[in-house]
Amino acid sequence: MKENSSFKNKTFFWVLVFAAAVVICLCIYFLRPKERSDVALIYQDGELLYTIDLNKVTEDYEILLEREGSGNKVLVSKNSICMKDADCPDGVCVDHGELKDNSSPIVCLPNRVVIKFQTSGDEDVDVIAGKAQ
Amino acid sequence: MKTKKITICAILAALALIIFVLESLIPSLIPVPGIKLGLANVVTLFALYYLGPAYAALILVTRVVLGCLLTGQTAAFLYSLVGGALALLTAMLMKKIFKDSRKMWIVSVFSAAAHNLGQMAVALFLTGTWELIWYLPLLMVSGIITGALTGILAGLVFNRVKKAVNIEKNR
Repeated sequence: MKENSSFKNKTFFWVLVFAAAVVICLCIYFLRPKERSDVALIYQDGELLYTIDLNKVTEDYEILLEREGSGNKVLVSKNSICMKDADCPDGVCVDHGELKDNSSPIVCLPNRVVIKFQTSGDEDVDVIAGKAQ
Repeated sequence: MKTKKITICAILAALALIIFVLESLIPSLIPVPGIKLGLANVVTLFALYYLGPAYAALILVTRVVLGCLLTGQTAAFLYSLVGGALALLTAMLMKKIFKDSRKMWIVSVFSAAAHNLGQMAVALFLTGTWELIWYLPLLMVSGIITGALTGILAGLVFNRVKKAVNIEKNR
């Protein structure tokens, strides 16, 4: 009997610990910095492929990214960018919708594509991209 | 005895594979990369308690390799393997602290959190985009919830199987 109550107490303790961890994580997530800018960057395999100023886009267009037989289709419009199509099985990047802020980049894990906003920390990267283009 | 263990090991690997493939057919409810229930981990956890760490590792590797080939998600191989290996190591360590099989769900929560940490590390490494780290809190929340659920399930299965085996032995 006594052992059983201590078992219950310990279980209760761990439920509390995990619940607290969930609350803390949710707080961090919802209080994250929501910076955004006009310039979107598209990466694949950690390499910067495109630098797009979304403010200067006049007409919608699509970018096709191909990698080992599978592809992603990025839709670029004025002030918005989203993944229109992906042939990976889960399609998480398509469900993501348009790019909202810099701490929630669009990610396609199977094809290793990342779409994010350019922020102050990325200025070095931009110089290299300028040379490559 | 060894033949029996190998047979159980093969059955469990097949079971894990079926669960893995079935789960991959269910679309994810939350559009965040890397979040899923991870039902196949019930089998890994069960194997760890029932057969021991070496057999659990064998089942895990078999499931990851064949699962990626069967579902065609070869790109997910590295995420699954690193995540799974970290999860199993954590479960082995935690099992030493929480010996009671009724506490399997606690072991499972730590194991799931370790799995998601490993996955995040691979994603950061492969994409080279540090902003992905903002998804970590969400992955931790999902790990705690799914880890608790799969752990409770594995505990229920383990205790029932143990009882059934004992009845069989006493006949």
